[in-house]
Amino acid sequence: MKYYLKLGFVLLSITIIASGVLAYINSITKPIIEENQRKTKEEARLEVLPSAVAFDSLSYFNDEVVYIGKNENGEIVGYTFVASLYGYSGDVKTMIGVTQELVVNKIKIIEQKETPGLGANCQKQEFQKQFENKNKSSMLVDKDGGEIISITGATITTRTIANSIKTGLVMLEEITSELEELTSDKEEEIK
Amino acid sequence: MTFFKEFTKGFVKENPVFVMALGLCPVLAVSSSVENAIGMGAAATFVLVFSNIFISLIKNFIPNKIRIPSYIVVIASFVTIVDMVMEAYVPALHKNLGLFIPLIVVNCIILGRAEAFAGKNNVARSIVDGLGMGIGFTLALIVIAIIREILGAGQLLGFNVLPETYNPMLIAILAPGAFIVMGLLMGLMNMKKK
Amino acid sequence: MEFVAKIFSMAIAAIFVQNFVLARFLGLCPYIGVSKKLDSALGMGMAVIFVMTMASTFTWLIQTYLLVPFKIEFLQTIAFILTIASLVQLVEMVIQKTAPALYKALGVFLPLITTNCAVLGVAILNINEKFSFIEAILNGFFAGLGFTLVLLLMAGIREKLEKAELPKSMKGMPIAMIVAGCMALAFFGFAGLKI
Repeated sequence: MKYYLKLGFVLLSITIIASGVLAYINSITKPIIEENQRKTKEEARLEVLPSAVAFDSLSYFNDEVVYIGKNENGEIVGYTFVASLYGYSGDVKTMIGVTQELVVNKIKIIEQKETPGLGANCQKQEFQKQFENKNKSSMLVDKDGGEIISITGATITTRTIANSIKTGLVMLEEITSELEELTSDKEEEIK
Repeated sequence: MTFFKEFTKGFVKENPVFVMALGLCPVLAVSSSVENAIGMGAAATFVLVFSNIFISLIKNFIPNKIRIPSYIVVIASFVTIVDMVMEAYVPALHKNLGLFIPLIVVNCIILGRAEAFAGKNNVARSIVDGLGMGIGFTLALIVIAIIREILGAGQLLGFNVLPETYNPMLIAILAPGAFIVMGLLMGLMNMKKK
Repeated sequence: MEFVAKIFSMAIAAIFVQNFVLARFLGLCPYIGVSKKLDSALGMGMAVIFVMTMASTFTWLIQTYLLVPFKIEFLQTIAFILTIASLVQLVEMVIQKTAPALYKALGVFLPLITTNCAVLGVAILNINEKFSFIEAILNGFFAGLGFTLVLLLMAGIREKLEKAELPKSMKGMPIAMIVAGCMALAFFGFAGLKI
């Protein structure tokens, strides 16, 4: 019995020491990791909507903040949101910058686990460029009769991205129309 | 065995991947590009060296019965450290390697070296052994990755090395290519031995 | 009905489309190591299905009711691997006492399973994919099933390969790898299958 207690004690002390060390390292790395994630998103926002200098949060979509971008004079120049859908082997997340007319300004794939050589080619600039200046009705892949040329051997990935953006644009339309109603209501009240 | 031989045995003669066929999962999974291969090799070498050091230090205090669980805890701790540090300082690489970083824990090479070497030898020898085996593992990864990246993408470390007219053999960086390249390399090693 | 459809699509994904061995590169050591004979492959496959289902169950509970509430998610790797190791021990003891016949069939494979990365892999994947409790258990079961399927296919091929005339240096492991490559290629046919 005493022997087994000793065994338990040795194993327990190793585990406790290990947990202590890990807790310490975690306390150092965690803030850095969070800061990194915040920074990548901020950079992605600026990249897809370069005309904006300030971003105000507007709503939530896919657990991410939908931002409204404003220029130096405080005028609205567009919106950014994160589109996300399950692609071929994981969620494909895309940062999307949209102009005030709800036309895509620029997109940037921020997270994907698609097959290297096939779906992972969605990170290429040429692919991402073709989404620019398109609205929600033209978010259709060539295989489905649309204009978006799908990646060779990765129609699923392409379709996923197009659909996720389309859903996002529909969501944005609802939010902005609500917003307009609100502001026009207010204006009427003032009158 | 001299120190030097101890160090170099893992490179070719006792190469953990080609000769002993250990730790195949990460080798095949992350060797689609040289960059990932180097990252994985470095992470595994770090864990290998440090778990070897610790295990050879504490081996006399650990009763034989709980040897394996204790080794696993030590290894898992180092793996977690690598995981956290990589996520903080090289987030892009961390994302590429993904699941295979925590899975270093169950890499048979590491537990195998702990059991077969570090649990029986002193610290200095264990460091040399860990480093040698880690480098052997990394070399194997890099060799496979070079072949796959050149054939499959026409690139090396992300730079184009083949003329524009080369049409990449996509299959080489996909799953089947990993198996086939590995099989051919193992056959080549067998042929050299005879 | 929707639930049934979801389970079905999960099964297809875990067994064929995202097969643990051929698409995710998990569990390769037993796949190459224990595929020389059909009956031992079957024993290993059964043991893996059993342990993977159990491991998915327990690791999900530990993650949800222990690691997350106490904010110690960074201990995930240690907690999971210890859970799996003790689970394998426990299963071994229970089977030995209650079902000696089953123990005889599976006994030798059980200790090997602790270091099978497919088991730890499925446990972590369940958490990463944010599966519910039921989904996690089913995913563990289906992943094990997919592993067993390709292990049996491989064993069947390798039994025939024994009789094939091969260059000496390609015998054994190298040719097994090439066969695995061809199988992975065949499984590509399932790519994009979605229900």
